[in-house]
Amino acid sequence: MAMKGLKIKDKHIRSLANLLSGPKPILYHKEDLLAYDCDGFTIERHLPKAVVFPKNTEEVAAIVKYCHENMLPFLARGAGTGLSGGAIPLNNEVVISLTRMKKLLSVDLENRIAVVEPGFVNLKLTNSIADKGYYYAPDPSSQYACTIGGNVAENAGGAHCLKYGVTTNHILGLELVLPNGEIIEIGKDGIPDSPGYDLLGLLTGSEGTLGIVTKITVRVLKNPEDKQTVLAYFDRVEDGSQAVSDIISTGIVPAALEMMDKTAIEAVEAAAFPVGHPRDIAAVLLIEVDGISSGIEEQISKILKVCKSRNVREVKVAESERERARWWANRKTGFGAMGAISPNYLVQDGVIPRSRLPEVLKKINEISEESGLRIANIFHAGDGNLHPLVLFDARVPGETERAIEAGSACLKVCADVGGTITGEHGVGIEKREEMRFVFTDEEIVAQTDVREVFNPDNLLNAGKLFPTPGRCAEVKKELKASTS
Amino acid sequence: MLKALGTEMKSVIGEEKIIERKVEEQPHPLGNGGKITVLPSTEEEIAAVVKYANENGMTITVTGTGTKRGFGGTIEDADILLSLENYHGIVEHTVGDMTITVKSGTKFEELQRYLQKHKQKIPLDPAWPENATIGGVIAVNDSGPKRFRNGSARDVVIGLRTVYPNGSVIRSGGKVVKNVAGYDMNKLFIGSMGTLGVLTEITMKLRPLPEYESLLLLSFPKGGMEEIRSFAVRLLDTMLEPVTLELINPVLAEKLTGQSTYTLAIGFEDVESSVHYQEEYVKKIHPEAQLTILQEDDSREFWQQFYQIGPKGTDSPSKLVTEASMKIGVKNMAIPEVIKESVHLQDMYNLEVFAHGGLGHGLCQVHLKGAAQDIKSALTHLRNLVKDLGGNSVIKYLPLTLRKEMDVWGEKPSYFFLLEGIKKKIDPKKTLNNQRFVGGI
Ligand SMILES: Cc1cc2nc3c(=O)[nH]c(=O)nc-3n(C[C@H](O)[C@H](O)[C@H](O)COP(=O)(O)OP(=O)(O)OC[C@H]3O[C@@H](n4cnc5c(N)ncnc54)[C@H](O)[C@@H]3O)c2cc1C
Repeated sequence: MAMKGLKIKDKHIRSLANLLSGPKPILYHKEDLLAYDCDGFTIERHLPKAVVFPKNTEEVAAIVKYCHENMLPFLARGAGTGLSGGAIPLNNEVVISLTRMKKLLSVDLENRIAVVEPGFVNLKLTNSIADKGYYYAPDPSSQYACTIGGNVAENAGGAHCLKYGVTTNHILGLELVLPNGEIIEIGKDGIPDSPGYDLLGLLTGSEGTLGIVTKITVRVLKNPEDKQTVLAYFDRVEDGSQAVSDIISTGIVPAALEMMDKTAIEAVEAAAFPVGHPRDIAAVLLIEVDGISSGIEEQISKILKVCKSRNVREVKVAESERERARWWANRKTGFGAMGAISPNYLVQDGVIPRSRLPEVLKKINEISEESGLRIANIFHAGDGNLHPLVLFDARVPGETERAIEAGSACLKVCADVGGTITGEHGVGIEKREEMRFVFTDEEIVAQTDVREVFNPDNLLNAGKLFPTPGRCAEVKKELKASTS
Repeated sequence: MLKALGTEMKSVIGEEKIIERKVEEQPHPLGNGGKITVLPSTEEEIAAVVKYANENGMTITVTGTGTKRGFGGTIEDADILLSLENYHGIVEHTVGDMTITVKSGTKFEELQRYLQKHKQKIPLDPAWPENATIGGVIAVNDSGPKRFRNGSARDVVIGLRTVYPNGSVIRSGGKVVKNVAGYDMNKLFIGSMGTLGVLTEITMKLRPLPEYESLLLLSFPKGGMEEIRSFAVRLLDTMLEPVTLELINPVLAEKLTGQSTYTLAIGFEDVESSVHYQEEYVKKIHPEAQLTILQEDDSREFWQQFYQIGPKGTDSPSKLVTEASMKIGVKNMAIPEVIKESVHLQDMYNLEVFAHGGLGHGLCQVHLKGAAQDIKSALTHLRNLVKDLGGNSVIKYLPLTLRKEMDVWGEKPSYFFLLEGIKKKIDPKKTLNNQRFVGGI
């Protein structure tokens, strides 16, 4: 309504504007749309038709219904920090931004649940309940900016997911606007095991292709009694990787077990949160254990023993909360730190069985040498989730393509050792073709079959997640062969 | 007819793997059977049987050992009872990665015993672990009191191989502990009651066996629900890390501990010092508590007994009394109310009622024994209570005749069309476990 009086030429934009309230609820001028032509994956850019800012579920439903009736493509967007291009409007979509639906709706600590709107920022949840001694476990490094709606869509992980699980393990209920505008609610009040197929589980990680999440019930946890953090420096990557395996096999489940290699260390030390890592070491491990105090001492001494047996150069335990926080800031800003040593970088997200770490790191090194591009490694070593960061300069002709190729080659290595192509960033646009590294055509069709149930017209976030059907390609080839 | 089926099957699978029912043999009173039984021992055989049935308009009931035979379903006999009992074993256990891949017909306890040697475990605690197959546990999404700390099947399964009705093998997830490639299809099959596909291989993440465990049994002789509730709230607000916080009704407590009072079973698993520290802490929060502490083997024994309290589908139901089980989901702090009501049911309907529920996970199990008519009334009574509490209820065990009279799944959810849509996409001919699930899916 607020747009009344303005002369908008496009009939759809006019109609959409009429469905919304609040100040400036729609953007449609090209200069305003430019900010929405990509997300954290910046290699591909497309302009949306418009960006709308609904204030509540009903407005989302009205927009979706309108788009559905008029066959306009649309997609949801949170903070736009996604790293695989999930929020990029490939088909001139109407972008539905959830950033104005950012309320914390309720907190019920007795039942350990909280209900949030999708645009609520991840870190704000923990900040809102920290004074009572509670927190929300999934902690992507982007948590100061990314939304819980975006986390649900990507099934986001984080450093502390090793012990406590990723987003899907903490989602108890969802309100969803289906691609035809219908509103449904699954897992009311966070009550477990609603009879029926586990749609909560299916929707989490579906990258915004099955519906638009408008309300989320999450589990919150009580802070552990104590935690301790260890930093260990290794002269050989192999020793660092072996230490990771050894720690896990002693029966300790660390809260976090992170690793950075030499190139990554160079970057984080050159960026905003240096902590004085020696520049000449090959690998640093950041290990955190939490739980009941008396148990922690024992675990720490075991960890120190493992590190020593793997030729650690230096190992230290954080002496204060401040020191611990500094170590984490240094690690969590690792991706952005690449900016300090390279004009551009591309983050990959492969996962491997953790026992294959040394051999995979060696292969990634080979890829780096072959491509002539430096690759830094920052990763969640405890669960085998690698983030090779391919450094490149987009101004040099051909280098972007080489970086993309090198990234893809890293994923192939992961897939070949029995791993997968993405552990937390999602497939999006970026890894569509790489889906073939892990799934057959038939298995991909099994997934698109499910999409058809929710999103039959494929108006919602089309062109994401799945490779162009192989069968079509083959049919075309056959047609060509038969006509020539 | 039977003979013809048998002959047909022989073209698909070796004769020695087919059991034809003797003419005089009665169908099983729990239903969910088949006119003939096939016992494949490879995934190829499973796929061949399923494909053949699907192409020839036959129906299949999928089963492990049958511990959940009384759960869902309104059909006495499908054409084929596909038993996975002979399809078992460990496919791959990567000790260092703490993952294991197993064939679905493997018995749960057999896996735990094997893993024990490596100081690892599957972090699940289903009913009847000696008999239940891992495939069955996953297909019905069974969980026990330790779900509070360990999560349920959806938190444990990382990969599946599933035979689709058309005979193709579809992999979902993988062998790594973190994976967001494509849709999380694992979740569709967990708890799907075998209505979408036959699970063949299951990959799970493992956890280290705890170094030490103990179990605190806290009795509340006054039986005041407010006392229990406020104690639980206080406990949950500390940084203690109980594995269970299970409230047990007096009749069940008497069977398990000899003491007929409301009892909270609070389990701890950690290094020994931390376990004892937590025991002391509980005493501090509730100094006047009547408390028994079971250490190590005693704790394990308690749980072993605990997992065998409900009716088991492999037993023939008694002709004299009727048994039923209901699984109830409510908000955590509504659990005491449900447990209390289970006690009322005993007097109201003259039943024996075992009930327990987790104040950390929100699920209750209520097992009832008595006359058929009273059981029906009691189940309806419970269902209404749960509805008022905004929760959900599913009847997990009931003889077939009664399952035909009352819908064990309760009301369809508002989004039922999505569930039905998924079933239609994957199993359009309703070949697998027809009518076993919500809304007759
Ligand atoms: C520096 C940096 C560090 C990062 N670290 C991590 C990390 O440690 N772990 C990790 O997992 N990720 C990480 N990410 C990736 C990213 O932050 C996550 O994927 C995050 O979940 C995206 O949230 P968002 O709100 O930015 O979503 P967006 O980028 O806006 O959207 C992501 C996808 O979700 C969909 N979507 C958004 N909101 C909704 C909704 N309400 N309903 C349905 N679909 C919706 C979009 O259509 C899109 O497909 C990092 C990113 C950056 C830039």
